[in-house]
Amino acid sequence: MNANLPGADTQYAFLLDLSRCIGCQGCVAACTTGNELPAKTQYIRIGEIVMGEFPEVSAFISNHRCYHCADAACVNVCPTGAMYKENGLTRLDQEPCIGCGECVGACPYEVPKLRNKKSTKCDGCKAVVDAGGTPWCVKTCPSQALMYGVRADILAEAQARVEAIKGRYPNAQVYGETQAGGLGMLVVLPDSPEVWELPADPDTHADATTSLPPSMAKALPANFGFLSALTLGLGAVIARRDKLGRAPRKDSTTVIDSELEPRV
Amino acid sequence: MGKVALQITRRSFLKVAMAGSSGMAMATRQVRRAAANTLRQAGVPDAWFFKGTIKSTYSVCDMCPWRCGIIAQSVGDTVFKIDGNPADPKSRGKLCARGQGGVSFMNDPDRLRAPMVRTGERGEGKFKEVTWIEALDAAAEKLNAIAAEYGPESVAVFGHTAGDYWFADYWAQAFGTPNAAKPSSSLCTSPREEAAKLTYGFAIGGHEPVDWEGLKCLTLIGSHIGEDARNTVMQDFATATANGAKVIVVDPRFSTVASKADYWLPIKPGTDTALLLAWIHVLINESLYDADYVAEWTEGFDELKAHVADFTPEWAAEITDLDADLISTTARVMAENAPQSVIMPGRHVTWYGNDTQRMRAEYIINALLGSVGREGGFYFAKAPYIEEYPHPPFAVAGSSGGCSAEPGQESAELPTGPSGKTRADGARTTFLRGSTAMQELIEPMISGKPYPIKALIVSGVNLLQSIPNVERTIEALKQLDFVLVIDVLPMEHVAWADIVMPEATILERYEELSTIAHKTPYISLREPAVEPYYDTKPAWWMAREIGLRTGLEKFFKWETVEEFIDARLATIGSSIEKMRASEGIIVQKPKAYFADYGKTSPFHTPTGKIQLYSHELELAGFDPIPVYEPVEEPPEEFFRLLYGRHPVHTFAKTQNTPLLSELYSENEVWINAAAAKKLKIKDGATVILENQDGMESTPVKAKVTERIRPDAVYMVHGFGHNAEGLTQANGKGASDTLLQTRYALDPISGGAGMRINFVRIKKGNAK
Repeated sequence: MNANLPGADTQYAFLLDLSRCIGCQGCVAACTTGNELPAKTQYIRIGEIVMGEFPEVSAFISNHRCYHCADAACVNVCPTGAMYKENGLTRLDQEPCIGCGECVGACPYEVPKLRNKKSTKCDGCKAVVDAGGTPWCVKTCPSQALMYGVRADILAEAQARVEAIKGRYPNAQVYGETQAGGLGMLVVLPDSPEVWELPADPDTHADATTSLPPSMAKALPANFGFLSALTLGLGAVIARRDKLGRAPRKDSTTVIDSELEPRV
Repeated sequence: MGKVALQITRRSFLKVAMAGSSGMAMATRQVRRAAANTLRQAGVPDAWFFKGTIKSTYSVCDMCPWRCGIIAQSVGDTVFKIDGNPADPKSRGKLCARGQGGVSFMNDPDRLRAPMVRTGERGEGKFKEVTWIEALDAAAEKLNAIAAEYGPESVAVFGHTAGDYWFADYWAQAFGTPNAAKPSSSLCTSPREEAAKLTYGFAIGGHEPVDWEGLKCLTLIGSHIGEDARNTVMQDFATATANGAKVIVVDPRFSTVASKADYWLPIKPGTDTALLLAWIHVLINESLYDADYVAEWTEGFDELKAHVADFTPEWAAEITDLDADLISTTARVMAENAPQSVIMPGRHVTWYGNDTQRMRAEYIINALLGSVGREGGFYFAKAPYIEEYPHPPFAVAGSSGGCSAEPGQESAELPTGPSGKTRADGARTTFLRGSTAMQELIEPMISGKPYPIKALIVSGVNLLQSIPNVERTIEALKQLDFVLVIDVLPMEHVAWADIVMPEATILERYEELSTIAHKTPYISLREPAVEPYYDTKPAWWMAREIGLRTGLEKFFKWETVEEFIDARLATIGSSIEKMRASEGIIVQKPKAYFADYGKTSPFHTPTGKIQLYSHELELAGFDPIPVYEPVEEPPEEFFRLLYGRHPVHTFAKTQNTPLLSELYSENEVWINAAAAKKLKIKDGATVILENQDGMESTPVKAKVTERIRPDAVYMVHGFGHNAEGLTQANGKGASDTLLQTRYALDPISGGAGMRINFVRIKKGNAK
């Protein structure tokens, strides 16, 4: 059996090189159109990080998206199996999702969002990859900032890239080799993770105790997802932010459960 | 099932080990997960690419004028996705956000849907829908009457983006008006084109000929790669920096590309020429220039050396507000990496009215570095070979220009219309060169001088969001006898039309072949992915139908544009059918370096050498070598108004595109943090900008940032739409064009320098 074929127990990963990313948002638009995301939904958020004072200033691009934790908090808390791991990536099947918002509160990276009473996030372009394609974001990136492949190869590439930029960025490092059991999004960071507010040791079990008992999940009324998003999901986000003692990310959106608008 | 079971086993082991008491809950969830997997396996994926046979159509993106080759992916009558065409030398399979937004642009519910004629006053925006026959007959009747009374020269044609060829070039030349213009000349690239022709004897053309692969040092003067999201340039920049190229960025703003540069020079706006002269001084004074190259390929070196003797880095430091050592250091870095070292010509360079001289100074540095015509430097671009459609001789030669114009020389004489009139924009009189100045064609619409312009055809140019001095443009629109607007969306200027013709977008129509002067000259096919939406038509169809009604039958013997394209392709042994089978692209042989020219000179100057010293300028009374001329300083309390691009938007064209509006819906005004503190303006506060003439902006949010000098503010261009029909963009952000009540005419190129406007910041009320 070819170990590189999807279906084999091969671990795949993305490379995200923030020293190369130039903030063009080509990936955001490719993801949004290729995956037919509803209006006002994006899986990738681009922002800027500015340090220093004019003219002694430096800046980086932030490119926030699902990090595909091996030990994924969203999978850990999902009561229905909508969130699951496959080939090293964190998939999301919206059909069994009940919109309870557990994943929203549990994710240390604030990635999943509720939309139309369903959780939504990057699933590593499962349908595209299963059909033999390349994830949309990787396919279009004009800056060589994104790659997709077997995790071991991607890790080697990330490490080589870090070595190559050390002269210019002394704090350059690979983020994700070990975090959360090893990420499926290996990030080349030109500086330390705190600059991007990336936790050095993300806690993927912090909110496990707030999981719904399975019996309750089974008996949920149809509109429970909406209520739980407000009561449990948002509450958990706020609680965790308070715990971390920091303001919400500038480029982050709050938990939203709006009616789904078709994209034109 | 083996894999799933294995995962569950590993997972439960971990979970039980770590959480202990939650083991029971875990077990139940595993059962649920297994059940969910079964459902998934049974279900058919609902992604669009499983909905039927995917049709791939080759075309060229029209979301910006860069012309990336695309493949539109459709199933049935629906286009789902646009990708870069891997065979295309520009896109190489990649695409920016705007390109990805092409489907959203096409599907914009605000689109113009049917031809319309005006029922209210001009500017009121009251129209009634009519048939195409009625609209075409009415337009032709007006054009014929005006041409009969005032001559065909009295009809001006403004065009931009892919369809502009049919009105601003083909129809205008057949009809006999030399007054055809594209904003991409005098509102954008004219100074760099005229400077290149004066210095090298060839124009830059649409694609800056930087030979990126071997490049070792890139210098940018105000170019903001990444924010200016030209796909190829972003790709090439990534390659160059991955190869270790040094990057020097000169910009009053800490742009994205400045954040990736090795050297950032936060220059005082308007003083670039002083910096360039100091760089020349260092290169010559420290003998860092390529002496052999200079001896073989340039003339005027001794005069240049004498000219820059006093322009020391210390002299420039005073003027530019830069560190003298940084000026010397960067000149040395450029020279150390020569000849694989270039100053990349910027694209929008109409800044201060003295822009041709600044661009000449950049080209002189490239010559001193010996980079022009060398691998890894500045290659010689070549236009692809293909014959024109065999139409009868046109009534007037073309001169609309534009950034996609092929590299060429200055024509000896200005084109003359059938009534003996040359262009009314002051070319060769109020400014030296023969390039077309769109903004100078507005005045004759009002004053009738040098002769009246009575009708205006506008194809894809937002008149009120691109030409400075908006009040004057509106006055002209009131004075004209006839205004025909061709567009996709109900932009601001559409309200001023007598007749509106709705255009099909690039995904819905064939378009004339795209011919690109490039390192590898090439030709691209543009085919439709779907039928035109609503009652829209391609511009070629409209131009032809108007042509048939304005006595131009002999130029429109072809019935469909496919026939026109095939006739051209036959001249190089190809056809639409053949191009379809070759990924929509024909690539021809390059002629990129000196070695390809043998004993002939690639420099089409009078002496075949690079003109460090320009006798042509001297004869015309201009400085033969660039000098630094101070520009007006902002008065007390005022900031210089700078503007530029956002990566997801193009001009004033894309702000209403739903996808792109979602990614960046309104512009902000960048204000230096210390300056904002003095004014007690907080980040995100709503402010109003008032310019030196009392013109006020609409409310706009302040972006308080360390990324800009304290003497300038910056806005993304193209926002502040005020057309009610633009439901996404209307009322969002502020228009930089509105605040450009004045401009400085470049006396050489005819370019409109727009960075001479100043604004002060007033605290606005919440919207």
